Amino acid sequence: MDSEKALQIRQKIRQRFLFSGMTLVLYFAFALNWTDLGSGLREPLGDSSITGSLLFFVLLIVVFIGFEILFIRYSTRRSSRDSFRQA
Amino acid sequence: MIGSASVVMFLLFVAATLAISYWAARRTRSSQVFYTAGGKITGLQNGTAIAGDYMSAASFLGITGLIFLGGFDGLIFAIGAFAGWPIMVFLLAERVRNLGSYTFTDVVSMRLEQSKTRSVAILSTVVVVILYLIAQMVGAGKLIQLLFGLPYEAAVITISVLVLAYVTFGGMLAATWVQIIKAVLLISGVTILAFLVLWNFDFNLENLLSSAVQEHEEGTAVLAPGVLFQDPVQVLTIMVSMMFGTLGLPHILMRLFTVPDMHEAKKSALYASAFIGYFYLVLIVIGFGAISLLSGDSAYYDEAGRMIGGNNMTAIHLTSAVGGGLLTGFMSAVAFATILAVVAGLTVAVTAAISHDLYAEVLCKGKPNPVQELRLARITTVVVGIIAVLLGILFQNENVAFIATMPMVVSASVNFPILFLSLFWPGLTTRGAVCAALTGLISSVALIVIGPQVWVSVLGFEKAIFPYDYPALFTLPLALIVAWWMSRTDTSDRAAEDRANYGRLLATSELGKEV
Repeated sequence: MDSEKALQIRQKIRQRFLFSGMTLVLYFAFALNWTDLGSGLREPLGDSSITGSLLFFVLLIVVFIGFEILFIRYSTRRSSRDSFRQA
Repeated sequence: MIGSASVVMFLLFVAATLAISYWAARRTRSSQVFYTAGGKITGLQNGTAIAGDYMSAASFLGITGLIFLGGFDGLIFAIGAFAGWPIMVFLLAERVRNLGSYTFTDVVSMRLEQSKTRSVAILSTVVVVILYLIAQMVGAGKLIQLLFGLPYEAAVITISVLVLAYVTFGGMLAATWVQIIKAVLLISGVTILAFLVLWNFDFNLENLLSSAVQEHEEGTAVLAPGVLFQDPVQVLTIMVSMMFGTLGLPHILMRLFTVPDMHEAKKSALYASAFIGYFYLVLIVIGFGAISLLSGDSAYYDEAGRMIGGNNMTAIHLTSAVGGGLLTGFMSAVAFATILAVVAGLTVAVTAAISHDLYAEVLCKGKPNPVQELRLARITTVVVGIIAVLLGILFQNENVAFIATMPMVVSASVNFPILFLSLFWPGLTTRGAVCAALTGLISSVALIVIGPQVWVSVLGFEKAIFPYDYPALFTLPLALIVAWWMSRTDTSDRAAEDRANYGRLLATSELGKEV
């Protein structure tokens, strides 16, 4: 395998683990809802009935989909850049 | 319980899907088309089909019932089921698509000794799929018995006959289109239902949640964690099992091979994720809407004060409350379609494990007679259908909750560790993979048996030996440690070959088959 391809692979792997790491940290942070550390999340937000926990749930889904879109855009852009460079 | 509307809707769905199966059967002339629809499904179609395969009746009916019962705590299963998808996009979709042909076993065994690795992967695939199948068949039999008034056995046989008609003749192509139709119906159904619920509250979420707080006996606690689960470790066990279990489900991974290339595979997972995420967000409105609109309404409770048909019928009762007979008929047909689509996906997966992984790759050493392989795939489908009916009838009086627990836990403890390590750890050897898979399988089954679901609920003991229902928090790390230790201490020639193969696998998995 030439060094150009090895570099591409290293970059891709770094990107995979960066996005996965962020996802796992946020995901497991959701368990804080059930601990004393996350007691603030259980309170309603201002005068509304919506609690921090409920907002956390919604944000997690939205943020994860956002991560996926970013990841795919970034990979597609990098793939076309690499193909251009090889051509 | 349901009138003519649901029967008409159901018959329309059956007619449409049978017509698709007839069309697909004319195109299913090879085992490749049978297993992967010829690899010609687009990313959007496949993403929709994955969503259709993944969003089971348990998701729709079960999670709505749990929110009705315990409010926010029910959402832990929703976030658990959803969160595997980003990881699927980041870590698995591209690499699995680039390496495999038909099944996840192809990927795991690529750089390891084929026969041993395939054998354990086939074993875990069959265990996961059969357990998933039993849970679906028993749940479906009871649901259809309740919805359509059919006898339990007739319901189970009806499902099996329809799935056999789809899969035996149309293979993955027919299963894909059944799943796409089901996903569109389910997403449309929950959207209409959520719209009608919000209508009742002037499209104001604040009004809906305030009403839920007033109606639920737990009051404001219903909008925060702690009603159903208090122990954070118990929550973590569910989160680990749901997330990593999703990443190892053979019938879901198999769908990644139905698209032409790695880019479409990534897009499939993204589309699936978007549909599934939307579905779980809408369940918030449906779940809390059910608390607001059904609590205390005697029309939905029996004389003993229990919900008619149990908590799993919450979504159907809510549909009846806000949408009347026509929408209830539609949602009942959707529930039936949901089961058919999931069972079709499971049937294709177990068929591929037997006819491709076992027959073609292990017994024929990768050089099967294509005509015989396709014939065997069709015969296996029929056998799986018969087994599904027998198991459905055999387990009809069992507590299905534990059967539904097992496939996710086994998948997280067996399939995910060996798939992840074979893709990302150069040091994995055949011995490490086999020992990890067997450790994951034995430990997860053993801990489920001595846990509350079996030890207390099924065997009738007073207290469980192991306190958690979902032991993957313990069995997944155990499998990883065993894989690491057994690989590190493996000094055989085969181990050296396994490690040396990683470079070739890495380049192919990251850059595609042209490397």
